[in-house]
This record gives sequence, structure tokens and C-alpha cells, in this order.
Amino acid sequence: MEQSWYTRLALVVLVGLWSVWQLVPSWQYFRLPPEQRLGDAYDASVPGWAPSSKKHLNLGLDLQGGIHLAMGVDVDRAVKAKVARRADEMAEHLKSKGIAFTSAGPDATGLRIVVATSAPDQAEKEGLDFYGSELYSPVGAPAGQVLFAFKDQVLREFRGKAVEQAEKVIRNRVDKWGVSEPDIKRKANNQIQIQLPGFKDPEKAKDLLGRTAQLEFKICDDENPALDALRSQLAACPADRSGLTLPLPDGGCWTVETVDVPRLGQRQATMVVANKRPEVEQVIAQKILPLLDPNKNAVGIGETVVGQDVERRTYYRTYLLRAKTELTGDYIANAQPSVDNSGPGSGKPVVVFTMSPDGARLMEKLTTENMGRRMATVLDDKVETAPYIQGRISTSGQISMGSARDYNAMFEEANAIALVLKAGALPAPVTISEERSVGATLGPELVKKGTLAALVGLAAVLVFMALYYRGTGMVANVALVLNGLLVLAIMSMIGTTLTLPGIAGFVLTLGMAVDANVLINERIREEMRAGKTVKQAVQQGYARVFWTIVDSHVTTLVASVVLMNYGSGPVRGFAVALTIGLIASMFTSIVVTRVIMDFLTRDDSARLSV
Amino acid sequence: MQFKTFDILPHGTKFDFVGKRHIAVVLSLIVNLTVILWALPAIHGLNMGVDFAGGTEMEVKFAQPVDPAAIRQAVGDLDFKDASVQTYGAESDNAFLIRVGRIALMSPEDVKRVEEAVKAKFPVTSSSFNAEIGDKLDFQFSTPVVPSELQAVVEGAGVRVREVREEAGLTAGTKSFAVITQGIRDKVERDLATRFAAAKPEVRRVEYVGPAVGRELRNQGFLAVFYAMVLIVAYVGLRFDFRFSPGVIIAIIHDAIVTLGYFAFSGREFNLTSIAVILTVVGYSVNDTVVVYDRIRENHTKYKGKSLVDQVNLAINETLGRTFLTSFATALSLVGLLIFGVGTIFDFAFAMLIGIVSGTYSTWFIAAPMTVWLEERAARKRAAGAPAAAATK
Repeated sequence: MEQSWYTRLALVVLVGLWSVWQLVPSWQYFRLPPEQRLGDAYDASVPGWAPSSKKHLNLGLDLQGGIHLAMGVDVDRAVKAKVARRADEMAEHLKSKGIAFTSAGPDATGLRIVVATSAPDQAEKEGLDFYGSELYSPVGAPAGQVLFAFKDQVLREFRGKAVEQAEKVIRNRVDKWGVSEPDIKRKANNQIQIQLPGFKDPEKAKDLLGRTAQLEFKICDDENPALDALRSQLAACPADRSGLTLPLPDGGCWTVETVDVPRLGQRQATMVVANKRPEVEQVIAQKILPLLDPNKNAVGIGETVVGQDVERRTYYRTYLLRAKTELTGDYIANAQPSVDNSGPGSGKPVVVFTMSPDGARLMEKLTTENMGRRMATVLDDKVETAPYIQGRISTSGQISMGSARDYNAMFEEANAIALVLKAGALPAPVTISEERSVGATLGPELVKKGTLAALVGLAAVLVFMALYYRGTGMVANVALVLNGLLVLAIMSMIGTTLTLPGIAGFVLTLGMAVDANVLINERIREEMRAGKTVKQAVQQGYARVFWTIVDSHVTTLVASVVLMNYGSGPVRGFAVALTIGLIASMFTSIVVTRVIMDFLTRDDSARLSV
Repeated sequence: MQFKTFDILPHGTKFDFVGKRHIAVVLSLIVNLTVILWALPAIHGLNMGVDFAGGTEMEVKFAQPVDPAAIRQAVGDLDFKDASVQTYGAESDNAFLIRVGRIALMSPEDVKRVEEAVKAKFPVTSSSFNAEIGDKLDFQFSTPVVPSELQAVVEGAGVRVREVREEAGLTAGTKSFAVITQGIRDKVERDLATRFAAAKPEVRRVEYVGPAVGRELRNQGFLAVFYAMVLIVAYVGLRFDFRFSPGVIIAIIHDAIVTLGYFAFSGREFNLTSIAVILTVVGYSVNDTVVVYDRIRENHTKYKGKSLVDQVNLAINETLGRTFLTSFATALSLVGLLIFGVGTIFDFAFAMLIGIVSGTYSTWFIAAPMTVWLEERAARKRAAGAPAAAATK
């Protein structure tokens, strides 16, 4: 045999072995009963030499049950609320400048501010000074009135931020439920798509997701040593010099953080950390709350993310808070990430926020009384951040991001916090525009029927090829089985979601993969009829048919790629299966069958049944 | 040299495909026009699924046999006006598909009644309800109200309340409440559970699509089919010759319409999966055409002396076996889906089968003869143009 044949044989064998290797996690995954698939039993069952246990085929919502929701964010309402808030601030500002006006509020469109005043020129000047970069004053206001309109770009920004905030809020809520592998995506037209595999109660999901966010400010009670008693009730967290050893032991453990306390200096405050939020909640309910006076203290849960990409791990921690909600997000007018340009922290990312007039008074009192303490911002029962109060805050304040970290990470965090602050400040109601829920009993039945349908389809094709083409049919069948394995292996590798239409797509690609072999075999027959030797016929058959196979695959690929961009959910699963199937089919029909055929026709006198 | 063959189709056939093109064109035109007319909403229309029409669809399975007429009666009694009930899957499955054309349970009359009751009791500054969003009423009050009292008033007006939720007010001083009332799913589920308690109804699947989303999905779906066609035609044009493009265009439009015909005439649900089938048919039906075109091109250089009609006929006849066999093999893979598939998946397989058959037919009788027709037309034009050009000289 030629040198190139051995190279090709090696390639084919390698691809075959790789496919089997890649399918090990999926094999283990589907062997387990559904309720164990997400637990440690599965992780432990994947042998060390196999690919990461994360790389398995996923069942789509239609096959395992769950909820798919598309929620529309009511951006118009969010923008109008924002304009109304601006109008309130404008009124405060004009009052403070001593300008007489009878009313200031949104106009009929809800998108502009109209001020009725006897001194329009002064009011216009002051108003534009106040929000000069956002507003302009359109001509044509009736006598005795000043109109302020928002620049298009500003309105666009309001809308965009409203969706961004809504997404963040939804993400927080879903994380809190402990749904495994939720998928939350922002789509066109102010839509957010949420997929909750295995989640059973669509009404509950809709209720919880439909609420507008609640933002609260609470003071951290770092002086209180009550939690130190936990040290005898829980295990201490394993840690080394670089920090906690992750993942944490199941059920949570205690550790300490160094906190600054006014007048007392630093102390080691005890906190509980765990891998999952429900674990922390359980410790709080069973061990922490009995230690506390509910009128004085509350416990908040925060999330800490360490590492990046694959190393990225999340754990949950407690914050000991004072029970009283000092301020709510309703008092925040605006917040944005910025860069500190004053004092020792100069050049670092910060969050700058502005309070509404009422809020400013409350904030001033709060910060004066609690200078040097930490103030937790709690969004939807999750402590987002707990910075130290370093100065008196009234109308506007800033939150610093800690020290000595990479600039981008800090800026990212500043942006996230700004969003959170605004999320409370800006009501962006969400409404359900699409809901698909599949009960738990339907899924397994569909998996069974789908698998059966795929096997019957495969068997029909295999039998036909073997009967009609005999020897070369068997060659094609070897390629076909390898094709099936390869498709599943690629799908496992990229973590594709297998849906019911996806199974149909998979079956269809098996049929299409055979097409290429039919073309090759028919061409070989033709060449043989023309009087060529078997070897020549095989060589010329493959050479002539190569581009035909490419062309026929590409046209179907075009359609499946278009479909991949169009569809979502189950239909997308079909398109993905079809696309991967077509690519695999090109490889198996051209390379794999050729290696075997070349081997069978190595001598000029070879016989072949086609 | 020895080899064994056995052919389903004899090779060396000399069937005159090009000669039959007039009959084929008339036949195809009739079929295509009928499908288009039948699919027009004014005449019959497609049975649009919730994906495209918007609305609520529920799959309900009973543990014991239930008379379909009784289910129809029960759903009819709920007074949805636009509800439909059909059996789903095999009769022994005891499963039904219930579809309601709207997504909000409350009728405009209900909304009006609730609004009046609330206005009579509380200082309402504004209220809103959107039937395209669902069973939710928004109220703004000038003074705070107690949620439980609000709930009692709404229920007093005859509408079941799931939750009253305070929302952030639009402007300072106003109080905003959302009243979420009972939805369609809840209503149907409760009603069936009481009426057919013995048969243990179970809601296995609910699909609910807002009308705006439905319209968008539908438009995008048709656009996707259009883009795929344009890209495929461009590819074939680039790889072969743009002279072949008209044949490909006509053939794929033909196959897409015939596939659509399955949904139009069977009355089966037209949804996202149907768009997936049509797209796949469009991509797949070109395969055969490519094979024949490839052979036409090969024969064009090989048999220079022969007429174009003969070259094309020869190309189709020479590739007859493989065109048939490739389609047959792909169709075979669908057998399992046809046997075990229920609902959408069965429709997928059946429509795909029709698309495959149509693709084979259009390759033989439409796409390939089309090239002959175009060449003849071009030749006539040249002939007509030449004397005219000579005359002006």
C-alpha cells in the first residue's frame, strides 16, 4: 500500500477512537437515572482518563421537562419613570435656585419635561445647566412654559439599560432558586429568554420573575460577635495561604474575614461559606438565626466569584446585617461607573450615584452616623456589595472597588454595581411573551420513542445498503456507523442540547450520509461498465464524484446554517444536528470509505461487488 | 474483470424527459397554484400553530380512556369561543391538544367589570390591561391601598386573583399595583380535574406565544426560507454557470410549495418545525439537481455533436439510478420517525418525505428541461435579432 494510505488509515482510526473516548461522559450520564445525573455520582462515574464530565450531551427542555420563557421588558414604562424622576429632580433644583414655577413634570408623551413658569428664560438656563449633557430645549414651547427634551442617544441609553438591568435581576433570581444549568440570554426587541431545565412550576417561575426589583441599603453589623459561636458548631473551612480551598465541603463551613470597625480597629469576623446558596440558607435557618435577635439583626447572602474561565468558581457567603432597611432603591436617581480623579485612590474605577432630594437627606444622616462601617446594598435578597462608608454622602456619593486588582475587573464590577443601583431605582416591568413548559412525564417517553425511531431508521438504511450493494454496501455501512458516532461525539464535545427535532435531524443526516456512498458506488459501477479495472474504477469514481459530494452537502449546509440563525429551542437543535451531521458525513463518505475501498482493491485483479 | 451487480432500475434507459416538459410544467403549475390558493387565508389558509398565530396550546393526557366529545363539550363550556380540541397521537394514548386562540383569560367585559368595581372603591388615577400580554391588570392609585382589600374587590367582580403585587409608582405620590388573575392554563386544568377526576388528567406540555412574538417568528421564518434560497442559488451559480440558476430557482420554489402543500391540505399544524422542514427540503432537493447538472456539463464537452435536448436527456437517464437511490435512502431513514413519531415529529417526517419525492420529480421534469427551454429561447432571440441587425445596416 502507498504511504498516503497508511496516513489516512491512521487518521480514520484516530477519529474513531476519539469519538468513542469523547462519548464516555455521555454514556455514563445517560446510564444514570435522571435525578442522579446532576449530582456527584455522575462526576465520580466518569473515569479520570475520559474527557471532562461537563462534556456530555444535554437533553433539551422538550426531552427532560422544564420551562422556556421569553420575557419582554416594558422599556417604555421604564423610560417614562426615568423622565418622571428627572422632572422631580428638576423641580428641586429650580426651587433651590430660587426660580418661581407653578408646575414641573412629564408632558403628555411622558418623554419630555415641561415646566410652567413666569421666568422661562432663567428656568431654561438652569435646567440645561443641571442636566446639560442629557437635555436640550426644543423650540415651540407655549408661552409661560419651558420644554426639556432628552437627546435621542440618551433615550436609547435608557432603553438599553432597562433591558440590561432586567436581565441582571432575572439572573439573580434564577441563581437563588438553585436551578441547575439555567440559560438566560438577551434577545432582540427587548426580550430576555430564560430556560429552566427540570423546573416544574411555570406559574411560580412567572410570578417570581415578573416582580420588579427591590433594592435596599443595610448597615453591616461587624462589631457584633454573635456569629463567633458558630466556630464550635461548624467545621472550619480548609484554606491555605492563597485563600479558601475550593470546592468547599458540602453543607458549608466557617471562615473569617478581617473587617475594620470604628473605634475598635480591626477584628476577625466569622462568616459561613458554602458552594450553593441553599446550603448557606440552611445554615442560616438552623444555626445562625437562633443566635440572633430578629429585631436587631438579619443575615444577607452574597456571592463571590474567584478565578477565570474554566477555573472560575462561585461560592456563597453570609453578611451579618442590622435588621433595619435604612434606604431603598427608590431614592436613587442615577448611578454610573466612573474613574476616581481625586485623592489617594486617583485613577481607579468607582461607582458614582446620585440620590433624589428626599434620599439625599436620609443618606446624609445614615452616612454621618455610620462612618467607617460597611454599608450593604441588597438586591432581591442578595448582597451585591458592601463597601466601607468613607465620607459623608448626600446628593451624590461614590463607591470604591477595593484595592490592588486588575483595572478591567474593577471597572466591570463598577459597571455591575451601577446597574444594580439603578435596577432598584428604575422599574422596568417584565411581561411574559412566550412560555413553553414540558412536564416531567412527557420527556422520558419522547426520548424512548426518539431513540427507537433513530434505531429503526438506521437499521433500514443499513439493511438496504447491505442488500443492494453487498460488499461496498458494507463498506458504506461501516462509514455510516462511524458517522453516527462522530456526530454524537462532536455534539458531546461542544455540549449541544439534544432536542426531539434534533433526533430527527440526526436520523436525516444518516440518510444523507448514505447518499454520498450511493453516488460513489453508482459512479464506480459506471466506470466498470465502461471497461475499466476495479482499481481504476474506484480511483476514478472517487475523483469524479468528489466535487458532486461537496456541492450537494454545501447546499444543504446553507439551509441548515440559515436555520440555525433563525430558530431557537428545539428547532435550533435540529439545525445544529443537521449541520454537524453534514460535516461529519463529508469526512466519512470521502475519507473513510476510500481507505477501505483502496484496501479492498489493492491488486489489479481484485473483485468487488458494487 | 468480474463484478456482480443487481439494479433496481435498468441502466441505459432512454426515457424522453425533456419531451415531457410541457405536460410536467402544466401539471406542476396546477399543483403549485392550487397549494398557493388553498394556503391563502381568504380561501382556506394554513392551520397556524401557536408559534405563529399566538395563543395557548396545552397537551393533556388522561390515565383512562375519555370520550373526545366530552372533552370538546367541557372546553366548549368554558366559553373561549375560539378553542379547539384534537386528539393527539394514537387513540390509546388518551391525549388531547387543546388550543385557545388568545392568551388572556379575561374578556373585555370582565376587564370592564373589574375596573368599574375597583374605581367605585378606590381612588384610581389610571388602569391598563393588555390582552396581548395576559391576565394582568395594572392600577395606579392616588393614595395607598391595602392589597388584600384590592384582591377582595376584584374577586367580588367575579375574577379569580392569583396575586396582587405592589410595583414602583410611575410618579412620586402615586401607588401602583399589578393584579394578576387566573390564566387559561389554570382554568382549563382545574375544570378538567373536577370534571374528569376519575381519568386523572395531566397537563403535559403548555405552549404560550404572544401574538407579537408569533407574527415576528412567522415573518422571520419566511425570510429565512427566502435567504436560504438566495444563498443556494448563488452557490450553484458560482460553482456551475449562472445559466443553470433559473432552473434551480424554479425547482426549489416548486419543492418548497409542494412541501407547504402537505400542511395546507392535511390541515396539520404549521409551526417552527414546518419552517425547518421547508428549509431542509430546499437545501436537499438541490442535491439531485446538482448531480444532473454536473452530468449535463460533462456531456456538453463529451458529445459535442448531439443536440442539447439529447444531451440533457442522456444526462438524466445516465444518473437516473443514483437520483432515485439517493432519494430512496434518505426516505428510508425517515421510516422510524414515521412509525414512532407523534404530532410535530410525524409531520416533520411526512412533509420531508413529500419534499424528497418532489425534489426528485422537479430534478427530472423541471430543473433539467428548464435549461433546454432557456437555451432555445436564447437561440430564438439571437435568430430574431440577427436579421433585424442586418436590416438596420
